[in-house]
Amino acid sequence: MYVFQCEDSIDGIFSGVYDAWASRLGHKNIQLSSGPNANYTLFCEYIPVTADFEKSRKVSRTLIQRIGAAFYEDICSCAMADGSLKKLPMDKANAIYQTIVLALACKKGADVLQQLSEPCIFCVFLLRRQTRNEAHHLLEFLRFSELENGILFAQIHPKNDVLPILAPHFANRLPLENFIIYDATHQTAAVHSASKEYLIADARDLPLKRQMQQFSTNEAHFRSLWRAFFDTICVEERKNPKLQIQNIPKRFWADTVELADRI
Amino acid sequence: MKMQTLSTQPAAPAIHIAPSIMQKLTILSAAAKYDVACTSSGITRQGDGSGIGNTLSCGICHSFSADGRCVSLLKILFTNECAFNCAYCRNNCNSDIERATFTPDEICTLTIEFYRRNYIEGLFLSSGILISPNYTMDLIVQTLYRLRTVYRFQGYIHVKAIPGADPLLIEKAGYLADRMSVNLELPTSDALRRLAPCKSRHTILKPMRQIQNGITQNRHELAIYRKQPQFVPAGQSTQMIIGATPENDFQIMSVAESLYQKFSLKRVFYSAFVNVNHDANLPSLPGGPPLLREHRLYQADWLLRYYHFTVDELLSDDRPNFNVYLDPKCDWALRHLEYFPVEINTADYRTLLRIPGVGATSAQRIVKARRSSRLDFPDLKKIGVVLKRALYFITCSGRTMYPIKIDEDFICRNLLSDRTQIPRQLREDGYRQLSLFDDMQFGGGTDVCIPM
Repeated sequence: MYVFQCEDSIDGIFSGVYDAWASRLGHKNIQLSSGPNANYTLFCEYIPVTADFEKSRKVSRTLIQRIGAAFYEDICSCAMADGSLKKLPMDKANAIYQTIVLALACKKGADVLQQLSEPCIFCVFLLRRQTRNEAHHLLEFLRFSELENGILFAQIHPKNDVLPILAPHFANRLPLENFIIYDATHQTAAVHSASKEYLIADARDLPLKRQMQQFSTNEAHFRSLWRAFFDTICVEERKNPKLQIQNIPKRFWADTVELADRI
Repeated sequence: MKMQTLSTQPAAPAIHIAPSIMQKLTILSAAAKYDVACTSSGITRQGDGSGIGNTLSCGICHSFSADGRCVSLLKILFTNECAFNCAYCRNNCNSDIERATFTPDEICTLTIEFYRRNYIEGLFLSSGILISPNYTMDLIVQTLYRLRTVYRFQGYIHVKAIPGADPLLIEKAGYLADRMSVNLELPTSDALRRLAPCKSRHTILKPMRQIQNGITQNRHELAIYRKQPQFVPAGQSTQMIIGATPENDFQIMSVAESLYQKFSLKRVFYSAFVNVNHDANLPSLPGGPPLLREHRLYQADWLLRYYHFTVDELLSDDRPNFNVYLDPKCDWALRHLEYFPVEINTADYRTLLRIPGVGATSAQRIVKARRSSRLDFPDLKKIGVVLKRALYFITCSGRTMYPIKIDEDFICRNLLSDRTQIPRQLREDGYRQLSLFDDMQFGGGTDVCIPM
């Protein structure tokens, strides 16, 4: 058995898929693994893969042309998920590789995603759902604050790498605004300046701490208005804290305006 | 001492201080909170790059208040200075509450500033009747016009059509809003006459019909010319108050069904009655608002809209109310065991939809998945079927999951032996636990009364 060890990112995993396919070792003898291995298995050869943009682009192009854009997006959402959250039947990168192998072998490749009895496809299904659900939660619960210079700034703590899903939504929604969405877990930021395209950048060295706390004069006013609205809109006779937590899980509370001080 | 303080203080009613925007917002959101329709769904529209906002057809809830309801839109009244005297409403002209009125610009600023901070998905604008229905509707239209043209807002707008307003104003509002609604308020015209003497069935249904016709006509126009302005593109909805008047579930659901069929409504909302005015003519509800009943009505509403059920199948004159212990679909299935068990690998989509524990999503997944291989119970679990409910009603390749009998009492007892399947309200009351099964004579014709 050969294990291709790749980086836990879309480019890393797709490079792994490319190398594994090109190695011609036979799909049955190949496994992919993302992230560090805790235990090495006997009788396995471990092959490290370096993330290569060119290889990743080739894999993307093949998937889009031969199977379809929808399938490609599903695989990307799956690759963006945090594979260590749930107990999965197999490793994330391996599931993606096996699914791609199955899809390329079929005439209507995109239909393989319906065969949930296949472990790798079930795994892709779970991870894709995990990313999409969290992305939708953050479309809901992300909050912008207006900084002194008029830029809108939002900080999020997602488990999965959802920024590529959030950024186009907000770029379309707020085309005339300058905004930054900072993903504190993955240390990346989506930056959008008015009437231009957005870009997603590495934000490890950004001086976020100090600058992003200097809010505009109006900010406090609208925050308190929003808090007041949020408190009065509740119908006292129907109070149901359990339902509230079910609908807005507590881990999102810290980054909202209205619930941050209720944790 | 006392004299002094009295003389230095100005006489309170003589001076009218304009309330701050904060006061207005608290007064007018508190006045709007009993309105239930706070959805932002039904239309996908990308922003055109010249303003602010877009919409998604799935809708986005931006927060959830302490009662667990979603906060999607900035839900406010334009004014609560109302000339009408509806008994159930907190803002009726006889009640002693603080009054306030927004200006169009205040509403626009609030909407835009909340929207760009991603607090809300749009605006929900309703109103009390200030001076006359026409005057009020005109103010609402002006507000929407400013918001759409001056502020270039392209997010979601839900607006109430004021009963009795001129059709021309309603048409104008329809071209600016995404969704419109006229509240039916109460299920029967008799109850309406008694509790809301200023409104009548006629003034409510007239704008509803006008909006319906407008939507149909607009659809034809759009087919001819794609860039025609859209009229109420996300459809219209309405709401009914549940539990203020003695109608039974059968009457309420029949009204809802005819609204869906005859007025092509997108949604009917049900609002459990809260006696805010402590009016002696209205029921006092010591156990709180009838939330479980409201829940059952919503479940049945979904069965009507997505599961191809009709009201006559769910309820009848002999059984006019829903079973409190079982959801309407389970209840129906238990009374119609002749249709079960259903074979998962061969049954058509509509039959799958009727199995308790199988929803629209899982039914679609089943139909797609069984093209490639035969499905078994572990596969159904992966697909998302709730097996603890479904297992009594299905077979996979001719086999049931466990040896079971297709028998009403047997299935009912097993379903209810899992306490998580009993509604929380009943569970927490410990409502007659031991005698529970003696009372439940399914098919015997006797009704389980609603303990509220």
